[in-house]
Amino acid sequence: MGGITGNATALRVTVGILVLLAFVPLLHNGYYENLGRSVLMFATLSLGWNLIGGYTGYVSFGNVAFFGLGAYTSAALWQHWHQQSLLVAVLCAIVVGVVFAAVLGLPILRLRGHYFAIATLGMALALQEIVANIDWLGAGAGYAVRPLDAYSSYYVAMWIVCAGSMLATYLIARSKLGYAFVAIRENEEAAAVLGVDPTRYKVIAWAIGAAMAAAAGAVFAGANGFIDPPTAFATDSNVFPIVMALLGGVGTVAGPLIGAIILTAINESLWSRFPQIHTLFFGAVIVLVVVFLPRGLLWLLDTRGGWRAVAATLGAYRV
Amino acid sequence: MSEAFLTIEDVEMHFGGLHALDGVSFEVERGSVTGLIGPNGSGKTTLMNCVSGVCKPTRGSVRFHGRRIADVPTYAVCRLGIARTFQVVKPFANLTVRENVAVGAMYGRNGRERGARASFERAQELCEIVGLSHLAGRLASELTVPGRKRLELAKALALDPEVLLLDEVMAGLNATEVDEALRLLRTVNEGGVTLIVVEHLMKAIASISTTIVVLAEGKKIAQGAPAEVLASPQVIEAYLGSRYAARQRQSPP
Amino acid sequence: MLFWQDLVNGILVGGIFAVVALGFSLVWGIMNIINLAHGAFIMMGAYTAYVLFATWHVDPFLSIPIGFVLLYAFGYCIQRFVINYVVRAPLLTTFLLTFGLSLLIVNVALLIFHGDTKGITTSYSGANFSIGAVTVGWTKLWTLLVALAITAIMHVWLSSSRTGRAIRAMALDIDAAQLTGVRVSHLYAVVFGLGAGLAGAAGVLISLSYSLQPSMGDPFVITAFVCCVLGGLGTVQGALVGGLVYGVLESFGAQYIGTGLQDAVALVVLLLVLIVRPRGILGKVTA
Repeated sequence: MGGITGNATALRVTVGILVLLAFVPLLHNGYYENLGRSVLMFATLSLGWNLIGGYTGYVSFGNVAFFGLGAYTSAALWQHWHQQSLLVAVLCAIVVGVVFAAVLGLPILRLRGHYFAIATLGMALALQEIVANIDWLGAGAGYAVRPLDAYSSYYVAMWIVCAGSMLATYLIARSKLGYAFVAIRENEEAAAVLGVDPTRYKVIAWAIGAAMAAAAGAVFAGANGFIDPPTAFATDSNVFPIVMALLGGVGTVAGPLIGAIILTAINESLWSRFPQIHTLFFGAVIVLVVVFLPRGLLWLLDTRGGWRAVAATLGAYRV
Repeated sequence: MSEAFLTIEDVEMHFGGLHALDGVSFEVERGSVTGLIGPNGSGKTTLMNCVSGVCKPTRGSVRFHGRRIADVPTYAVCRLGIARTFQVVKPFANLTVRENVAVGAMYGRNGRERGARASFERAQELCEIVGLSHLAGRLASELTVPGRKRLELAKALALDPEVLLLDEVMAGLNATEVDEALRLLRTVNEGGVTLIVVEHLMKAIASISTTIVVLAEGKKIAQGAPAEVLASPQVIEAYLGSRYAARQRQSPP
Repeated sequence: MLFWQDLVNGILVGGIFAVVALGFSLVWGIMNIINLAHGAFIMMGAYTAYVLFATWHVDPFLSIPIGFVLLYAFGYCIQRFVINYVVRAPLLTTFLLTFGLSLLIVNVALLIFHGDTKGITTSYSGANFSIGAVTVGWTKLWTLLVALAITAIMHVWLSSSRTGRAIRAMALDIDAAQLTGVRVSHLYAVVFGLGAGLAGAAGVLISLSYSLQPSMGDPFVITAFVCCVLGGLGTVQGALVGGLVYGVLESFGAQYIGTGLQDAVALVVLLLVLIVRPRGILGKVTA
């Protein structure tokens, strides 16, 4: 036993699913393509969150800020410089995301626990407000983003971003870097005594996660055709990835994608059956997941002692 | 003339009105085993914190190879060559024993030269040295207290230290375990690591130390070879109180 | 002189912030839970006042105790029967749980009341008086006085009543309190109920001067957090000072930086306090 990638079988299955998802454009079905692209986008956001929240233990409630920054970078490149290439947009978005994460990370990552969580939430809200006040970025009205010739190109691009994020997470989890993150999560003081510079590695974790979110945002902006502050910094894009990582398994490589698939499936069936109250049901889903699966499905698979051990841990959470 | 190895110079540590350390000075020789004893509250752990860079002394300094430890951030202290174990042992609960030790091997003094695989190999070696190889794949949270102490030692050794500070590593061990621990520490010392050991077990300290330093109420009250220090009336008085010492003088056993 | 008007406005709204922060601070300080549904509770209090006013013409000031009691009961039940299962769980769990609850409550409100803006207009709504160049609305002044009264009552209750002292003992050491026979699960529910009740009362106060929408409570979570950090966590005085100071800061911020940037101002204030003086204005240094 060992390794921080998570249950090996689950990982193989998930990679298989990822490969299958690559073939969705061949179905020539717009609905499935949209759905699949949504899954891949949320999985990427979840993977990005997973690095700082799952592996490093710093629960960020503001990663949507980087998604929005990526979306606006892509949009601005089109609007102001008529930049056609999606690749350039994604690369620039990554740079913007990393820079912001590094700069904001220095003060914000000094905070811990609740303080860090709320500070990141405030960061996302503040960024949305600031963007809404900048005319050069379209202010509150937002603006249109480039279309691409082949619509499926956006699907492929999102798939590449998601696969790349998953690969990056896998490589990190098998390297020294991953262990630095986990050491910080388990006991930051002890990690420092063992030679891990907490500030440096926290910023690295956040920056890589920000890069993933920004890349997803850049592709999303193009696929959506239009962005404005509420779209780019949507609460859904902020919270769903966290719940997905939680459902699938925080701190694993496969967890985010699994959680994204399951939750998107639930969301879609709720949306089609109860259009009025689907957000309400989603709130109920979040409550149930959090109470009964506080560490996710993959944790269930890996716990020695099975269901009884899980129940025992859950028992320790109450008063 | 050899350069001073580890020098503790007039170290004072004030927490508000409390003087935890009140001007402690001594030298540690390379390759020695220094026992650090004293009643509860005498400042032993505070001194350890100063030497390992966890606290900065209010006044005075601790110098290692001439460099002031207080000038170095906590995560860089191990790269100087100083490692320590903690009294309250909290391993990385969700990592295996081997992984716990590997973190030290990855980021310690020689960490830069090691990749992930080499770090795990080194971790396995260290698990064998401290006698944890049969538990190397188990989660650290599953270990008993003596097991955790061994893990703590292995993690500190993974940093390839020149100086190892041991803070009550033998507390809670039974007699057999204490003997094993002493054997282990002697092996480590013979391998070239200088030890500073904080302990309450007099026999253990006496058997392993080359020098003993005694603290009481933040001051150094004795220093020297184990036999003479432990027989000194001043030391006895500090531990057991002046009335006991007076009774001892009146009617020796 | 705009300065004095801004200052007065800030203090007036600061009283409401203090009540908002007080409930939040209680739950955070004693149970270590950041209740992201606090805003939803505020909204429920506001809509309680609205329904009572629209249906039976109950003056909102009279709805304050009603709102308090209703939300207290609601909060007590939520804690006892839902949150209690994860009350000692790590931060992520309680965060997401209260977020999910917030989603639920806000969406139920959307279903019942729809998204359109509502308001309460009483006979005295527009009345105001002037001191020199400064105009003070009567409603807002009374709101401030009621807010101060609520704060004072809570302070007295927490320090002298038996339950209040049991709560404070529990906050210091939950296991020791349990050993001395304190029924922790009940007291936790009392604390959460109080937090909700205070939010409800704050909601009623808010409904007097601001318009109502199902999502109206959400911004107040960040406000509550900043006020607690600013004033110092765990004391009634801290919530009061934090609320008043933040009210003034926001008022000046709206004047000189612009009204659309409240959250940006909040974030900057938060970061500055946490970096320069993390314990807040009145907070004690914890080891």
